Amino acid sequence: MRLDAHIPGGPITEKWDRYRFDLKLVNPANKRKFDIIVVGTGLAGGSAAASLAELGYHVKSFCIQDSPRRAHSIAAQGGINAAKNYTNEGDSIWRLFYDTIKGGDFRSREANVYRLAQISNNIIDQCVAQGVPFARDYGGRLANRSFGGAQVQRTFYAKGQTGQQLLLGAYGALSRQVAAGGVTLYPRREMLELVIVNGQARGIVVRNLVTGEIETHAAHAVVLSTGGYGNVFFLSTNAMGSNVTAAFRAYRKGALFANPCFTQIHPTCIPVHGSYQSKLTLMSESLRNDGRVWVPKTPNDPRKPGDIPESERYYYLEEKYPSFGNLVPRDVASRNAKFICDQGMGVGETGLAVYLDFADVIKRDGRAAVEKKYGNLFQMYEKITGQSPYEQPMMIYPAIHYTMGGLWVDYNLMSNIDGLFVLGEANFSDHGANRLGASALMQGLADGYFVLPYTIGGYLAGTQLADVTTSHPVFAQMVNDANDRIQRLLSINGRRTVDTFHRQLGSILWDYCGMSRNNEGLAKAKGMVQELRNEFWEDVRIPGQPRDFNQSLERAGRVADFLEFAELMIVDAEARQESCGAHFNEAYQTDENEALRDDEHFCHVSAWGYTGSDSPPEQIIEPLSFEYVPLTQRSYK
Amino acid sequence: MTERTIRLTLKIWRQKSAAEKGRLETYHADNISSDMSFLEMIDVVNEQLALDDREPIAFDHDCREGICGMCGAVVNGRPHGPEKGTTLCQLHMRHFNNGDTIVIEPWRSRAFPIIKDLVVNRGALDTLIQSGGYISVNTGAAQEANTTLIPQEKSEAAMDAATCIGCGACVAACPNASAMLFVGAKVSHLGLLPQGRPEAARRALRMVRQMDQLGFGNCSNERECEAECPKEISITNIARLNREFLKAGFFSSSS
Amino acid sequence: MGWLTDTLGTSIGKKIMMAVTGLGFIFFLLAHLAGNLTIYGGGDTFNAYAEHLHSLGPLIHLAEVGLLSMALIHVITGGILFFQNRRARTSRYVVNARAGGRTIGSRTMPYTGLIILLFIVFHLVQFHFTDKTDTTIFEIVSTAFSNPFYVALYTAVMVVLAIHISHGFWSLFQTLGASHPKYSPVIFIIGICLSILFGAGFGILPIYVAFI
Repeated sequence: MRLDAHIPGGPITEKWDRYRFDLKLVNPANKRKFDIIVVGTGLAGGSAAASLAELGYHVKSFCIQDSPRRAHSIAAQGGINAAKNYTNEGDSIWRLFYDTIKGGDFRSREANVYRLAQISNNIIDQCVAQGVPFARDYGGRLANRSFGGAQVQRTFYAKGQTGQQLLLGAYGALSRQVAAGGVTLYPRREMLELVIVNGQARGIVVRNLVTGEIETHAAHAVVLSTGGYGNVFFLSTNAMGSNVTAAFRAYRKGALFANPCFTQIHPTCIPVHGSYQSKLTLMSESLRNDGRVWVPKTPNDPRKPGDIPESERYYYLEEKYPSFGNLVPRDVASRNAKFICDQGMGVGETGLAVYLDFADVIKRDGRAAVEKKYGNLFQMYEKITGQSPYEQPMMIYPAIHYTMGGLWVDYNLMSNIDGLFVLGEANFSDHGANRLGASALMQGLADGYFVLPYTIGGYLAGTQLADVTTSHPVFAQMVNDANDRIQRLLSINGRRTVDTFHRQLGSILWDYCGMSRNNEGLAKAKGMVQELRNEFWEDVRIPGQPRDFNQSLERAGRVADFLEFAELMIVDAEARQESCGAHFNEAYQTDENEALRDDEHFCHVSAWGYTGSDSPPEQIIEPLSFEYVPLTQRSYK
Repeated sequence: MTERTIRLTLKIWRQKSAAEKGRLETYHADNISSDMSFLEMIDVVNEQLALDDREPIAFDHDCREGICGMCGAVVNGRPHGPEKGTTLCQLHMRHFNNGDTIVIEPWRSRAFPIIKDLVVNRGALDTLIQSGGYISVNTGAAQEANTTLIPQEKSEAAMDAATCIGCGACVAACPNASAMLFVGAKVSHLGLLPQGRPEAARRALRMVRQMDQLGFGNCSNERECEAECPKEISITNIARLNREFLKAGFFSSSS
Repeated sequence: MGWLTDTLGTSIGKKIMMAVTGLGFIFFLLAHLAGNLTIYGGGDTFNAYAEHLHSLGPLIHLAEVGLLSMALIHVITGGILFFQNRRARTSRYVVNARAGGRTIGSRTMPYTGLIILLFIVFHLVQFHFTDKTDTTIFEIVSTAFSNPFYVALYTAVMVVLAIHISHGFWSLFQTLGASHPKYSPVIFIIGICLSILFGAGFGILPIYVAFI
């Protein structure tokens, strides 16, 4: 198979404009004849469903939560980037494009990223019009701050709840379309199968999570915006319900999965503290704007952090990276924290933490100013740990946070399956091997508000689509498959709960396919995951009934997919014999422990095709070329 | 804060479905770490139930960091438990003592039918937003973001109202099961901003009417909602809703 | 007029009716209390006040009709709200606890209201709809309050009234949308002062009369 990303021709600055002009249009009167399924209601799915309905399409919107407003986009804290240059620091679309390519360590497509940077400004306009209460200065204009790794202040924010406010904006737009009749909501539904008829995505099979009934829905196109797969690690900052199932089911039906090993570790999370722990909590990266990261120079220093004099503190980020200091990109900050802790210099009970100290900024700006900026984050930290960051430094440690990999899509955001579009974190997207802070919200909304509504029109207008209803035999077959799988899961009736498998899987991946990887560990992990998968299918115990509200069954289905998916992740990590961005193979590093790329052999997207549960996936390469941003070694010195 | 281990008696509401009658059942939870969150404590109980071949307690939860609004139960008569400004997922067991008995019930409101155990259907809150809790702007129709200046104070007041997570604790806490704080917060968030003014009258009228139809009770200014709201949203927002409604009902031409 | 019933028929509309009529009663109580204070001037002053009131003729009837309509609106709407609110929570909590928002006043609003209603009926029968041809209002009042039972009853009900107003006053402003960081605390304090004023002002009267 040859992958065609359908990148339009012409200079990069004009590609998107030209392409939009070239796209076929659906006549307004004809739009209402098209049904579109959108799975997921986060920033990408919510904005897409609303925008499509505004255009006149019939949209069916699905989510696993009880309300579209609860999608995990809501938990994004720090902000959203845009190239507005309100701060007069010389920001531009070109600079945002450049930073994103470089931040992604040259593993993303130039054309996609340029489009993202172009659209970024429209997003801010759109969100303000929707009533998103972004922070403002005293003059009433929008305020900006700098954010993880950017040297210009281009991040727009709404306290520490930017994701929430943006999502509520999209949810409002969606709700408006529900009231207008353009969108039908299907909450508490989980997609179990993708239905493909004549090579085109034409529907989905879902489980009604309240009744347990299996339902079928047909449409002219299917849009997946189901988020990332960070929960494959069990402990992550993702919501408990976040999962890979929808994307993985599509993968099993032939959609290619791209770069699954690109998983981002967020540097500022609350450290792990117990074996019962269910999730990790992220503290916005904006904290690094004012907090200083350090560890005591003496390992296991018994003194309280406040009693350790300046001369005995190791501000390792500031010392190693004088120009970026505490603001180095996420992967660099995370890896350094791990490196320090691996050397036995970590702090806290587990030794798996470093200090993030606010004493200086509190002294400089006063407690009130700090409270205004970070009050809710400090409060959250105190609630969880019982310690006040005003009085002693926070303890932080990296955690899995975001996944750059995802289903492969072309410039239209369409996967290799016709009619299957993938948006937001669910696609392999625009972030390459590492995402910059405040760019996830930007990408999700760009995809949903400003890319898909055009490109899906081009697809619908230019494609022969037969009449397909849910009475088509493929639907019946998919329903059978879904039911069989549920029956199989329930009939195992073994001795271990779903969570124990999930936890074990997570710890394997964290140890061998997490922040840093080596070939030996990856090989070992692959065996362990295979073994665990076999054990799962022999020994898992799932209480309750299939036709009922059954949360154990829901989790079992997701963990079953994670177990298979984990192997794909490891295979991808093994195949990429280089280090780039968040993928760090210990065999490939510079003298200064930075990721060492191998552009000669790996300047490409690895897309994987399903060949069977027990056979290795097929690798398909999409080469990447860099015409506008020269390939260079990243340096944040 | 040092970690302790405590032992608890839990009385948890079990109800198979909306149609069936529910009752409190007693469970014992030993070796509960004081560093656990309340939901992690229920996880532990559920793991044991599953191993004992009994059905785990159904409860809604998702982000476990206090922002998605999915979780919530009434703990000893208090929605989201006894801590101020805290969702159930952010409530930690260090606030309980060894030997405590904890009664856990679902939100109770006619507008929130019980689905199972502690899980209720809060679709009514979505219906409320659909009746007008938005600003009507199509994608692409927005002007440059800095065209309209919004005083920082206004914007911050709007933000304070907009922090509502839609968990429904206000309804659960209200002696009348009223949704006025939820509606008040949305009407305030949008009404405080110039972008939201064109529809302000219509929004207030429609949302209030919808609220009544959904079977929520009437506000009698008991202030329990404000006291229980995990995001500490003020009842000033209810007053603002009243004002918007009064203006809309008597002095606008909207209906 | 559809818009009017539409507006007043909503939950907020009903609360507005409660608030407006409640505010009316506050004014009535102020006037009533001012009039009653003449009793401290002795029987003649009190009788003169009563006579002056009656000499207002149609005006006093108008006021009576006004008060009666306000009472009907307040009571009927209050009743509807009470039953709607009960219906809004079909199954009760096993454990009830408060977060600190509710007060005695807010908790007991419907019940204090009902007591006040019964009292008003009794009060009107005792002092208003009674044959006054051979006697003066002062005589009727002083005879009544020579009975310790009535003194206790009146004083007790005035405490109930005070409780009702302790919530009702600030609440009516909240309902009418008057909430402001600068003035709301003042309104709350005025409400408490008014409760004490009415409670004490009306409550001490029977005791005073009983002892003269």
